[in-house]
Amino acid sequence: MSVGTQSYQLSDYLEKLPGTTFRKLYQQPPTTFAIFRRMLPPLAKRFVNALLYMPDPLPLSDLDIWVKAEGKLQRDRALSILRSLHIVQITPPGKDRVQEMQLTSNFKKSYRMVLEGGGDEQWFGVPSDLPVDPAIDIPFLDRYARKKWEDILHYVVSSVGVGDTSTGSGPKTSVKDLLLAGHLVERRVGSQGGISITQAGFTFLLQEANAQVWTLLLLWLEAADHANDPGMDSIDMLSFLFMLASLGLGQAYDTDALTEPRKNMLPSLVDFGLIYIPRDTRQYFPTRLATTLTSTASPLRSVAAGFAAATANTSGDISSLGATPGSEPEQQKGSVVVETNYRLYAYTSSPLQIAVLALFTQLNMRFSGMVSGRLTRDSIRRAISYGITADQIVSYLAAHAHEQMARTAAAAGRPVLPPTVVDQLRLWQLENERMRTTGGFLFKDFDTPQDYAAVSGYAEEIGVLVWKSDRKQMFFASKHEQLRDYLKSRKKAE
Amino acid sequence: MPPKRKAAPGAAAPGPAKAGRTSAMSTPGPGTPRSLDSSMVSDADEDFDEDIPEEQKEREEFLGKEADDFVNSWAISSSKFQSRPNKAKLDAASVYFGKRDFSYLQLKPDHMNRPLWIDPEKGTIILERFNPLAEQATDFLITISEPKSRPQFIHEYVLTTHSLYAAVSVGLNPHDIISTLDRFLKIPLPDTVRAFIEKCTKSYGKVKLVLKHNRYFIESVDAELLQTLLKDEVIGKLRVHGSDEITTDYAPTMQGLVIPGTQNAAGVKQAALPAADKKGGEGEPAAETDLYTTLNEEDDDDDKEAVHSFEISDHTVETVQKRCLDLGYPILEEYDFRNDDANANLEIDLRPNTQIRPYQEKSLSKMFGNGRAKSGIIVLPCGAGKTLVGITAACTIRKGVIVLCTSSMSVVQWRQEFLKWSNINPDDVAIFTAESKNKFSGNTGIIVTTYSMVTNNRERSHDSKKMMDFLKGREWGLMLLDEVHVVPADVFRRVISSIKSHSKLGLTATLLREDDKISHLNFLIGPKLYEANWMELSQQGHIAKVQCAEVWCPMPTEFYDEYLRANSRMKRTLYAMNPRKFQACQYLINYHEARGDKIIVFSDELYSLKQYALKLNKVFIYGGTGQAERMQVLENFQHNPAVNTLFLSKIGDTSLDLPEATCLIQISSHFGSRRQEAQRLGRILRAKRRNDEGFNAFFYSLVSKDTQEMYYSSKRQAFLVDQGYAFKVITQLANIEKTPDLAFATAAERRELLQRTLVDNEKGGEDDVETDDLFGKAGGRGRGGAAGKKGFGVRRTAGTLGELSGGQDMAYIEQNKAANKQLKRSSAPQTKKAAAENKSSFFKKMAREKERTKQARG
Amino acid sequence: MPRAIRGVLIECEPAIKSIIVHLDSKNNDFIIEDLDEQHLVIKENMVFLLKQKLEERLKETYRPEEPLADSD
Repeated sequence: MSVGTQSYQLSDYLEKLPGTTFRKLYQQPPTTFAIFRRMLPPLAKRFVNALLYMPDPLPLSDLDIWVKAEGKLQRDRALSILRSLHIVQITPPGKDRVQEMQLTSNFKKSYRMVLEGGGDEQWFGVPSDLPVDPAIDIPFLDRYARKKWEDILHYVVSSVGVGDTSTGSGPKTSVKDLLLAGHLVERRVGSQGGISITQAGFTFLLQEANAQVWTLLLLWLEAADHANDPGMDSIDMLSFLFMLASLGLGQAYDTDALTEPRKNMLPSLVDFGLIYIPRDTRQYFPTRLATTLTSTASPLRSVAAGFAAATANTSGDISSLGATPGSEPEQQKGSVVVETNYRLYAYTSSPLQIAVLALFTQLNMRFSGMVSGRLTRDSIRRAISYGITADQIVSYLAAHAHEQMARTAAAAGRPVLPPTVVDQLRLWQLENERMRTTGGFLFKDFDTPQDYAAVSGYAEEIGVLVWKSDRKQMFFASKHEQLRDYLKSRKKAE
Repeated sequence: MPPKRKAAPGAAAPGPAKAGRTSAMSTPGPGTPRSLDSSMVSDADEDFDEDIPEEQKEREEFLGKEADDFVNSWAISSSKFQSRPNKAKLDAASVYFGKRDFSYLQLKPDHMNRPLWIDPEKGTIILERFNPLAEQATDFLITISEPKSRPQFIHEYVLTTHSLYAAVSVGLNPHDIISTLDRFLKIPLPDTVRAFIEKCTKSYGKVKLVLKHNRYFIESVDAELLQTLLKDEVIGKLRVHGSDEITTDYAPTMQGLVIPGTQNAAGVKQAALPAADKKGGEGEPAAETDLYTTLNEEDDDDDKEAVHSFEISDHTVETVQKRCLDLGYPILEEYDFRNDDANANLEIDLRPNTQIRPYQEKSLSKMFGNGRAKSGIIVLPCGAGKTLVGITAACTIRKGVIVLCTSSMSVVQWRQEFLKWSNINPDDVAIFTAESKNKFSGNTGIIVTTYSMVTNNRERSHDSKKMMDFLKGREWGLMLLDEVHVVPADVFRRVISSIKSHSKLGLTATLLREDDKISHLNFLIGPKLYEANWMELSQQGHIAKVQCAEVWCPMPTEFYDEYLRANSRMKRTLYAMNPRKFQACQYLINYHEARGDKIIVFSDELYSLKQYALKLNKVFIYGGTGQAERMQVLENFQHNPAVNTLFLSKIGDTSLDLPEATCLIQISSHFGSRRQEAQRLGRILRAKRRNDEGFNAFFYSLVSKDTQEMYYSSKRQAFLVDQGYAFKVITQLANIEKTPDLAFATAAERRELLQRTLVDNEKGGEDDVETDDLFGKAGGRGRGGAAGKKGFGVRRTAGTLGELSGGQDMAYIEQNKAANKQLKRSSAPQTKKAAAENKSSFFKKMAREKERTKQARG
Repeated sequence: MPRAIRGVLIECEPAIKSIIVHLDSKNNDFIIEDLDEQHLVIKENMVFLLKQKLEERLKETYRPEEPLADSD
């Protein structure tokens, strides 16, 4: 369930890359395939396929034949995406020349290779020819990846308590550092384990698993860029990720076939749960987190599905519901009841979901399969102080509303959540916005109105003016150095 | 049903109930008056004991504490019931719950089909309302536990000593309770809860005090227990000698008893069979009972349960009650009215076409579950027909009835209701108020009076004294206690000890007191027998659907600056007089009058009540409004299409029956009183138009933003919110600035209002007097109740009385009477006509009543 | 010569401003300059204390927290 749209996504990352980087990226066939699969809308895909085997550039006007007039908007959007990803190049408009478009050469070459095969098979990983431990099957890999990923999510909701043994030690320090660097969590005195979630972190939590994985991986790439480590090239890292995405789930691959820099990336990928490396082997297994990286199919596990999965698998309580363990979609139905008197009940046993609820709920009792609590001013204000917004909480509650609520609301033609509760959450947030403080300097006692006008005008010009009153001949500025200099120079000039 | 549970021989040894030692928790028996200090009936939560003599306060405190100790000793959280598994399963989320992680309780395999969870520590029960068994579970829970939260999907109840006491008193045994609860639970019944239920129910209701053939018997199904009592050094001596030591009989069943107005009653009448001839089985009452019998697998073997009893003499009743309590067996009172030959039968039955509603029947079946009358309290929302429940109870018992009300206004209404619903001879329903002191003509009948009339023993007039002697000298079959929540425990003690009645039925809409002394009512009157679900009644159309809103009115800066500086009394006045609030009120009145609504505006704050009413040219009533004028105003509000808005002080909170009203606006309230909020809401629940398609009543609370009123307002709403009402916050009224003739629209007007408000209230405002009769004020203020006024009316602001009669205030009254007076001049003829057309008009009776009084005096 | 005074500009609702002015009226230890209905400048070192006092003051106007224990 993706709620926040403002989170940092792969497309944002790619759009910032210069053309030269794309040229490098597109030397790798898996990358072209991944980008084609994940990043392109259907119409753009059709353009690519059409252009792929065209010997000559296509006059842009020919596109009008392909696309109906009413599809112009879509056409423009597709073209814009293709250009921003440096997949096509279009000649600039000129007086005597028609505009033409064609695929960029590297993309064209690599993508053809994807479709035709051939070239260096290593592009798509080299399967291991060593014997494989039969215990490492797909369910094993799923459990492994889920555990790894949930450790990370638990860390984000700050639910890894001291002395808590059941979830292990949480994610690796390197992952924690990434989360901190990416402002998904921040250090805060007094909170559990010294860190607490941020608004970005809450948005992260509410994303579908696939988006979550990408968010983390992009942080990883950016960290590599910042570190300027010659052994870690973010372009190669990205290419490697795209390659992993093309591997087969449950298949063992040979680590020896990897380049040295890519071998160095493996430990981090193990920490993220994207691959599994058995002890003392030269094999690595991509997990579902890796193999679904570029798929547009429904995500591996959204948090919601993750809750349901965790509920079904960790406690063994709910599986007796009559729902078969395999019927996860069934269990993705919402589980949270919000009443008009601010009481909240959630049908869950998942520590992760409970931890998420605890971010904004005053929890009271827990039974197997159910927790109860209340939305209070304090609990909401605490969440807001983390940067979580009332709207995020509302979206979360609406997205996870119990099917009874959804059904009743649908029958009555009313919103799923009690409107009074939604209003109150927003009012609680507004309380926070009743006063704004800005540090700076109050400028007053000007000798002449001209002085006032000039200095305040200058302050406005350089963007430090916060407030002014022409009547009072006063203004407030966030900085004073430049103004002081300006004032001096003005006095001198007189 | 043979006695299943034998008390262990040592059971009579001093148990955990040792703390309870005084009569605070017992139900004082009839005919054992005790000397009591005087105190006045009060309607105020926070401060009702301010003028009660010191020694009495101490006594009240002592008794209260004793009762609390007793209750606490049984609370489920007390450590003796707790046994927590050492190895509770812990995971990452356990940290959020501390000791309240009960996930170690494994779900039953078929838990999906069961609707309940229970918290082993505090007895909180969570009910899934959408579970297929929810209906049955709800019926069960309302019998054994207290409702805490009843919104839409998930309800919460809690097991308490009192609730279990009530469960036992309506005939459930521990086995019923435990096995049924276990059957509804998704998790196994925790041992702590089982132990708690057993412990409470073992002692509660095991011993009954029965008044049979006007002799008192101590009765129990447990012969051994009776033996234990007889061996007790105190009780043993009190047994009436010459009688059999212990007689054994069969426990009464509901056999043949038909509550009038029910389906059964209709059947009985059709068959033209006298009720008493009906044999068991067919006469089985409500579905409730069916539920328990079906749920109770093993108890079908025998219909009749043996009961054992011994007789005690009248004057030892209280001693025995006390002693039994000390021994840990609080005595339950029951009235076997069908075998009471000593008291004359009252000719009364419901009118043939009267049908009582299912929930009324349910509540009465709790009272008459085994064919005898049990004492207790029935909680129904305003407008849900409490009066009819009381009348039906009277028609079931058919003995002398005494009804206690809070005001003379409601005395008259009660009498009216008796005449409306039953076939009682009007001469048999008499009124005892300051103005009217009638007795009934026959050898039995109904007396309707007020709490203050029977508890105020200072300055009693000759007539009153004679009347009191009459009341005290008789044995009453039923005592109906109206609005029990408003009356302090001590007043009950005095009523109950001075007037002998075989059974007591307390009626109320909200069993709520901010001082939490409500639990004492359980000991004085009896357990809560039934509490209705507001939302359910409203969905079924028995009470009106209401839209609730809280309107936030910002204070203009100059008002707010003044507010910040003011003392608490002035703060109240200022947030009531907030011009933005005034405008909101004006806007809402315009809006709703245009929709055809009849509007009541409530203000606790007298100054603003008058200011608002005057400025908006609306009629108003407060404590100081004379009886005749009240009638005039009410009649106009009801029948005059030109009078659609009525301003009321808190005297209108209770008992005022105005089914025309469809919209309420609160501009000032009594602090955080949840009860007042519920009562006021109650004023529109019986709206005549409630069953119109799509009809909604409206309830607005206007609150001044950033003042304490905000805090109080949400506190007030807590009860209703837990009943499932949702208060919408309105921060902006659309187009309010376009209201024609919007008051205080200019800054100058607002400043003038502020200045005037400050000057007028400099010396402290005027407090409204409480409901009239509590002061003996109706029809001659201060005559019967001078003592009351002194003891009570002054309590908040010194000098109030002086001001009431002072020139300053007189000026107000004169000035403000304008709206009401205008009404008299212009619309009196019209309303007279309206009244004439309406034969059953309440006011005609009222007038006749007055006429009678006059003659009596003359 | 014009002056530049270090301080913190507060932008707030009129009611909040009223409370600040009220708090200041005791010792005049908060406000540097009262600008208009919704603006004032206060001393930098008093911001924390002011926020605390304000919260205290406003607390009495908020929906009260009920104890979750449901102990009554």
